[in-house]
Amino acid sequence: MKWLAHPWLTIRVQIALGIIFVVAALPKIVDPPSFAHMIYNYKLIPWSLINPMALVMPWIELLCGLALIFGIWKETARTIIGALLFIFIIAISINLIRGNAIDCGCFDVSAAGKTTAERIADMRFVILRDLGMLLMVGQLWFASRGAGSQPAEAA
Amino acid sequence: MSSRRFFLEAVTLIAAAIICALVANAMASRERKLAVVSQNVAAGPPARVPAKEPAPTQTIAPPPVTTTTRQPDIPTTTTTTAPPAPGTRHAAPKPALARGPFNPHPDKPYIEIHGDDVEYLHSKGALFLDARRTSVYEQGHVPGARAFSVWESDVDEKVNKLYAERSDPKDQNLPIVIYCSGGDCEDSHMLAQKLWGIQFNNIYVYKDGFPDWQKRGLPIHTGSNP
Repeated sequence: MKWLAHPWLTIRVQIALGIIFVVAALPKIVDPPSFAHMIYNYKLIPWSLINPMALVMPWIELLCGLALIFGIWKETARTIIGALLFIFIIAISINLIRGNAIDCGCFDVSAAGKTTAERIADMRFVILRDLGMLLMVGQLWFASRGAGSQPAEAA
Repeated sequence: MSSRRFFLEAVTLIAAAIICALVANAMASRERKLAVVSQNVAAGPPARVPAKEPAPTQTIAPPPVTTTTRQPDIPTTTTTTAPPAPGTRHAAPKPALARGPFNPHPDKPYIEIHGDDVEYLHSKGALFLDARRTSVYEQGHVPGARAFSVWESDVDEKVNKLYAERSDPKDQNLPIVIYCSGGDCEDSHMLAQKLWGIQFNNIYVYKDGFPDWQKRGLPIHTGSNP
């Protein structure tokens, strides 16, 4: 399992995760009303919190993504990103169980006019994708834990 | 890494995100701006102009309720928080439109209608409101429809302006058709709730929305003007 904590892998995972979050944040930062609409569709957040969440969450994603790319405060950024992914997975799963077909609003906030079946299939894929990203967070955590903080610091 | 350091860094990151979000939102164009405090679109604008006394010829009593007493989350039910005054119901005015009936319905926030009725109301000059995003509106909308996106920060301003235009209860009983993109789009219903909350009593939601209008080959306007 030594390879799993290898700095070569860690640095790439860290930068890839950072880029993913920066890319995901940009469309939401550019169009907060669309993202607010997406959050509303999840039917999980009380009215009063939808707009503040739509405004702030993309910036948290962007700043944490940049932190990972540049290796600044990477442990904190990684933890916040892990928590966000966990929340996303729960939120999508709840709607999947409810049968409420929604656009995920992860990387794209324009209503794509998909059919219900397409949306449900996408939601399943999104859960898998987020689990994959959670594994990336796990690798970063494992690398900083398992092999001491040296590789992560070196990164 | 100590938990204290983690806490400080996390708080700093989140605080920076909040500051960036507020600055970006303050600099955003009207269509990209979001009201920082979400307003329940069903509750109507906070500063409501008090309803005028009904005109003497008015035969339908305007609902004697304020926005706060209307039930926001029961769109299609017939729950009535304000039954019309006794003896006035039967004396409802003749419908202004032959097909329909498109009578005022103060007990319901909106009635869902389909393409034929929509076409008819459009031909009769009813006011159309487009609840989709303004950027989509500009790409094509029902001729005469006004851009009224519920997700943009200036929606309350637009609603208040409409109220100012139609503050006379007689005008509030004129039919208004609201549409978005059909399917599971709820924006028109939200806007309908909002308008009903300030005593617009004759609102129709075009259930199949703009895609149906296009399918029917009806005229379409583009650009930012109605």
